[in-house]
Amino acid sequence: MNVEITDLTRRFGRTQAVAGVTMQIGPGVFGLLGPNGAGKTSLLRMLGTVIPPSSGRIRLLGHDLGGYGQRRLVRRRLGYLPQALGYYPGFTVVEFVEYFALLKEVPAEQVPRAVATAVERVGLGDKARARLRTLSGGMLRRVGIAQAIVNEPELLLLDEPTAGLDPEQRVTFRALLRDLGQRATVIVSTHLVEDVGAACTQVALMDAGRIVFHGTPDELTARAEGTAAAGDAPLERGYSAVLAEARS
Amino acid sequence: MTGAPLGRPVRTPRLPLPASGRLLRLEVRRNAMLWMVPVAAALFWLITYRRSMALPPLWNVRTMSMQTGAVSVFAATVVGVAAWTGSREGRHAMTDLLAGTARPRWIRQLAAWSATTCWALPAYLGCVGVLYAATAWQAAWGDPLWWPAAVGAASVPAFSAIGFTAGVLRPSRFTAPLVAVIAFLALQFSVQMIHGGRSPWQISPLVAGPWQLGPDAGVATFYPYLPDLPLAQVSFLAGLTAALLGCLGLPAGSGGSWLRRSAAAITAAGLLSSGAAVALAGTGRLDTHGMIAIPTLHDVASDRPIPYTPVCSQTTIPVCLHPAYAIYLPAVTAALEPLLSEVAGLPGAPVRISQTSAAYRQQAGNGVGIGLTGPLIIGTPPVFQLLLPNQLGGPTMTADEVAAAVRSQTRRDILAGIIGGERAASPAQQAVLAAMLDIATAPDTPIRAKAVRFAALSTAARHAWLVKHLPALRTGRLTLAQLP
Repeated sequence: MNVEITDLTRRFGRTQAVAGVTMQIGPGVFGLLGPNGAGKTSLLRMLGTVIPPSSGRIRLLGHDLGGYGQRRLVRRRLGYLPQALGYYPGFTVVEFVEYFALLKEVPAEQVPRAVATAVERVGLGDKARARLRTLSGGMLRRVGIAQAIVNEPELLLLDEPTAGLDPEQRVTFRALLRDLGQRATVIVSTHLVEDVGAACTQVALMDAGRIVFHGTPDELTARAEGTAAAGDAPLERGYSAVLAEARS
Repeated sequence: MTGAPLGRPVRTPRLPLPASGRLLRLEVRRNAMLWMVPVAAALFWLITYRRSMALPPLWNVRTMSMQTGAVSVFAATVVGVAAWTGSREGRHAMTDLLAGTARPRWIRQLAAWSATTCWALPAYLGCVGVLYAATAWQAAWGDPLWWPAAVGAASVPAFSAIGFTAGVLRPSRFTAPLVAVIAFLALQFSVQMIHGGRSPWQISPLVAGPWQLGPDAGVATFYPYLPDLPLAQVSFLAGLTAALLGCLGLPAGSGGSWLRRSAAAITAAGLLSSGAAVALAGTGRLDTHGMIAIPTLHDVASDRPIPYTPVCSQTTIPVCLHPAYAIYLPAVTAALEPLLSEVAGLPGAPVRISQTSAAYRQQAGNGVGIGLTGPLIIGTPPVFQLLLPNQLGGPTMTADEVAAAVRSQTRRDILAGIIGGERAASPAQQAVLAAMLDIATAPDTPIRAKAVRFAALSTAARHAWLVKHLPALRTGRLTLAQLP
């Protein structure tokens, strides 16, 4: 298992963002669903080694995250796209991705090829020399994805990756996700259940800091059967049904 | 995400750089200091270069003035840009994205700081180089004084570190302008606190010598430029740089335990170095040659005079100046020549007017006394010791201003040394002085009348009279009535 979480909690003052999550995730695309404030981003930030947990244990790619050395080993093999992507407006696309390749300690001789590959995979080849300040929101999102995959990560954490992408780009992105999921564990946090349906092999639903569902998209769809759950698509209805059940 | 080819292929460098080199190259290429270099150069030209070049072409005044001006200009500029760079992760909401990367945060920060410094330092050195080249072209004598340039060069990374640290700690768009203004004011405040040669505030990189004197034409010409204070300043600035950059590596998450221990060691060494330098600056004293000497750092070899061959006029009594002041020789000679030809050959008249070094004494507060250590006329045959007016501190003078001051003061000193009456002249001495120097006396007095009569004599007649009556005139035994 690439991700092993045991009794993971995270508090921000009096607010408990993540409340005792236990999960094991192997290779493939894993969808993390949930309403606003469910704790998805906090969970991803902990998995991304951005913030430490308040309690519990995280084991990623075979390493416990207790010590700096272990975290550094994991970070070399980790890709992370935060919900709010920051960027340096003066950097070009290639420079930004190269910057992250270097920070992820991609061997120097492999950097140019890795950068070119990542930029091509997100379809920004023709914008490679464009300054980030000149790009649209969707293009910036793709730059964010490029930096996340530049080190060929074995664990890829994507927080709302399709926000700002047009439908055509989203379709292409789902194909990319499936491709990445062949070799790596990809955890995608999203509001868009159709992304999960199209790309994910496993899905978890969070509410109030807890995992209230963990299974396949089909199993989530099945949870709507026999209920009057709201939603335009079967997966949406499953999502609503599980949430309603968790809150009842 | 279509797999379209890149617009242009990614270039492979001829010499493959290591990752740290690539990171630095990337930072250098996108550093904000690049855009501020023309601004810094323009400010240097406006504030420092023009002011320095308006001074006489003497290495001491030009370089000491340059240090004060250049540090003011570059400190404010560099500190602002460094703060802008240091705050960028926070300003651009990059912290989450960067926190999940493997390379230690401290290394990342050092790369960004280095990039700012990499632009600022060559910019500073380029500006200083132009000023030094112009001075070398104009200066009549001497080698460049490198210590003022070295202190300025050490200030650049130090102020870069100050700004960068401020930016990291307070990542806001207001940090950069605020820190720039604070740094500028702090520098100006630091020199206001200097009281005498023992002040630890002399550690301020604006200070190139005794602060109360300013750029002084009298120092570092006859004797070497003392490196004592610059050594302490460089040590302070290097320590400050190390301490601030080391501090960035201390927080948890900056790097591994080895890296953080290194940062702690660098911080401690930096604090020790800067603290010791401040303490040493506090033990300084104004030495007799006009520089700040720090006993612990002082090399007695620096107290030996610099050998030189004076430049002399072709007058009856030669006027000899230090070659650094050769530009003043024509004006000084023209001012003294009429008197010198008249007194040449008189008993006790000097055989040479020779420029000498001034002696400096620290007085109460910020006062400094500048003058000769001995009498005006020394030795056998007698030599008149000349201090040019611009050796005496105060505003720098043009050649004409120097000549005017020599005409009014030095001529009187020379003549008084010959006929007596340096302190309390007798009426006869006053009349002779007034006549020969063409200076005004109180109207309608016997002294005035005698002075007018004596002045009306021909030069030869006056000379002949002086040859005959000089011993009596010098001792004050001659009365007004005995004057022709």
